[in-house]
Amino acid sequence: MSIVTVKGLRKEYPSFRLNDVSFELEKGRITGFAGRNGSGKTTTIKSMLNLIHPNAGEITYFGIPLIGNEAQIKQRISYSTGTVSWYPRKKLRDIVSVTKRFYPNWDDSAYQSYRKLFALEENKTPLELSEGMKVKFNLLLALSHRSQILILDEPTSGLDPFSRDELLDIFTGLRDKGVSVFFSTHIISDLEKCADDIIYISAGTIRAAMSVRSFQDSFSLSGETLEQTVLRLEKEART
Amino acid sequence: MKNILKKELTLSASVLSYLFIAFGLLFLVPGYPILCGVFFVTLGIFQSFQSAREANDVVFSALLPVAKKDIVKGKFLFSCFIELCAMLLMTGVTAVRMTLLKDAAVYKSNALMNANPFALGVAFFIFGLFNLLFIGGFFRTAYRFARPFVTHIIAAFLVIGAGETLHHIPGLESLNAFGFEHFSLQLLLLALGILSYLFLTALSYRGACRSFERIDL
Repeated sequence: MSIVTVKGLRKEYPSFRLNDVSFELEKGRITGFAGRNGSGKTTTIKSMLNLIHPNAGEITYFGIPLIGNEAQIKQRISYSTGTVSWYPRKKLRDIVSVTKRFYPNWDDSAYQSYRKLFALEENKTPLELSEGMKVKFNLLLALSHRSQILILDEPTSGLDPFSRDELLDIFTGLRDKGVSVFFSTHIISDLEKCADDIIYISAGTIRAAMSVRSFQDSFSLSGETLEQTVLRLEKEART
Repeated sequence: MKNILKKELTLSASVLSYLFIAFGLLFLVPGYPILCGVFFVTLGIFQSFQSAREANDVVFSALLPVAKKDIVKGKFLFSCFIELCAMLLMTGVTAVRMTLLKDAAVYKSNALMNANPFALGVAFFIFGLFNLLFIGGFFRTAYRFARPFVTHIIAAFLVIGAGETLHHIPGLESLNAFGFEHFSLQLLLLALGILSYLFLTALSYRGACRSFERIDL
């Protein structure tokens, strides 16, 4: 069942254009949003969160248009970005205590269990965290309010291999609970580990949006890994 | 609304915004252009906008389950809260100066503006200008605040200059009257000041909501 629909998304900048981006996200599936730096992943995600205004296109969650229903929809989705530091000089405890007030569905037991898993100390400030720990703190906020869709922009960048592995396991656990996970990455091996579907974007255009298996059936040469396939496609697109 | 104000007060605000409320006490200082205290209070609020920008506050807020206009509302609520706290302090100080200290020689020979309801009305007007020029200007981009603040500085000091000058013009001495002789006139001017504050703030809020809705974060 499709719970997110992105249709005909177009955003023009002086030096970059997002061209007619369309895809759907299914309930209880992990979708990897793959593409090189500057391919349009973050622009797409920002549009999906109404942080930027597309020149054209429509985005719906749970069949409801994002525009005009933003507050209601954001109760049911989570977003986390890489290493952006919110309120660098405030204690994590204070940031959390303010944030949780906005979410009637805030799950304190999930918060505590993820906090322990990520080894985050509440008395620290984001300024005292390493880049990887900042990613984990952003994820902690995103994971603690029982959202039905997790939208993550480069969540694994900056994480050590052990933490990345843990995170991908968390994605799998969430999927099993019916949560949809949509994460952008340029680390294709992350997709190989856990993604059900892949959306591949190159130079602002969606080149493929399908299951990982269909993608490999359609594009991979014999013996090629997913990473090798994407690298080859990207090279071909640039020549 | 309560949640977004709580966020402003605890996460976004700089401690200087709270400390600078104390500049309302300048209304007690004789031989000093007391309306500068109002400007210093706005300088304190400016510090919160500066620290909030460094903390990525606007984007953080935009990701919360609130409408965009609620983010604007949060900033206005916070600023009005600080302004009204300062007004409360200045009103108390003015009352003390006009009653308990009414016979103090330093106030009777004060060459500059006296603390009276007219001065409070001008203070409201300056806060209204701040809300219009600075906060409204800030929300055109949600990150640039130098130009809006410089505009506010110019406007605020023009008003302070006018406030200090008016009572020297023949026929307008009553604006600066010390005591209760022209109290009803001064109360009327205070009411005008409050009305201008409400009007300028509402005007700025509506414009800021429109601008903020349009910009990309």
